[in-house]
Amino acid sequence: MFSGWIIFTAIALVLWGLSGVTQKLATNHISSQLSFIWFAVAMIVISLIVALSEPIHWRIGSGVMLLAICGGVLNGLGALTSFCALESGGKASVVISLVALYPLLTVAIAVAFLHEALTGRQVVGIVLAIIAAILLSLDGEQQASAGK
Amino acid sequence: MAMSSDARRRIPGWLWYAFFTMILWGLWGSVSKILSSRIDEITNQVYFTVGLLPLMTLMLYSKPADGEGGMFAGTFWALLTGVLGGVGNLAFFRALRAGGKVSVVAPATALFPLITVIFAVVFLRERLRRTQIIGLALALGAIYLLSV
Repeated sequence: MFSGWIIFTAIALVLWGLSGVTQKLATNHISSQLSFIWFAVAMIVISLIVALSEPIHWRIGSGVMLLAICGGVLNGLGALTSFCALESGGKASVVISLVALYPLLTVAIAVAFLHEALTGRQVVGIVLAIIAAILLSLDGEQQASAGK
Repeated sequence: MAMSSDARRRIPGWLWYAFFTMILWGLWGSVSKILSSRIDEITNQVYFTVGLLPLMTLMLYSKPADGEGGMFAGTFWALLTGVLGGVGNLAFFRALRAGGKVSVVAPATALFPLITVIFAVVFLRERLRRTQIIGLALALGAIYLLSV
């Protein structure tokens, strides 16, 4: 009935979406640092399973390998700060919507450093992202002034 | 002094962390973009996890605070966050391998905050303000357009 890729796409969408809620639930009980440690433990176990069951191309250039590890460090730091945002009182619905706007920066970097040209669609996306970020942040100001 | 405490009150801690996350994940997105033509996603996922190890070690050495109780529940939710994130990544890669086009799978899965919001409203009982709803709708539009 459905193509395999549609089912996998739906699974990724739902699992990533749910992880925003479980992140908040974790920081409701334990610190953001501990939450990050357990989050990383689970990721390591999954990667070990993948490494044992899938063909991994271990022989890659040292530059590419370093870049991939750097990617892990950046993503991990981002995961840690997102746990911190939720621990500091941010709502899951606002924090996750805000941080998911990160492609805004990816596109900006691609234009500035990789000399990629902006498409009309991306320009509209950037404008919407900036307005969305302001609106989601304004909500935070209201929360703060309300004594949250 | 009064100025800085005013500024601190205006911009809540969680918002700073959310912006840091956006920047870190934006940089990670750029690294992933560069890597996408050099290594396959599964190999990237494994090396990416290696990048989590130094952060994890740093967190363990910093003697993380326990949090406000519920160690078992907190650990469970944090582990589940890692599992959902990791399995979500694998489902994303599977969708691409099963014939899904990146131009369709990437923007569709990028809309995951929608799932977070639905579950946060239903299960965490988070309330959405009008500005938040508008911001969320614009954010989803922006995420879609920037991920195409």
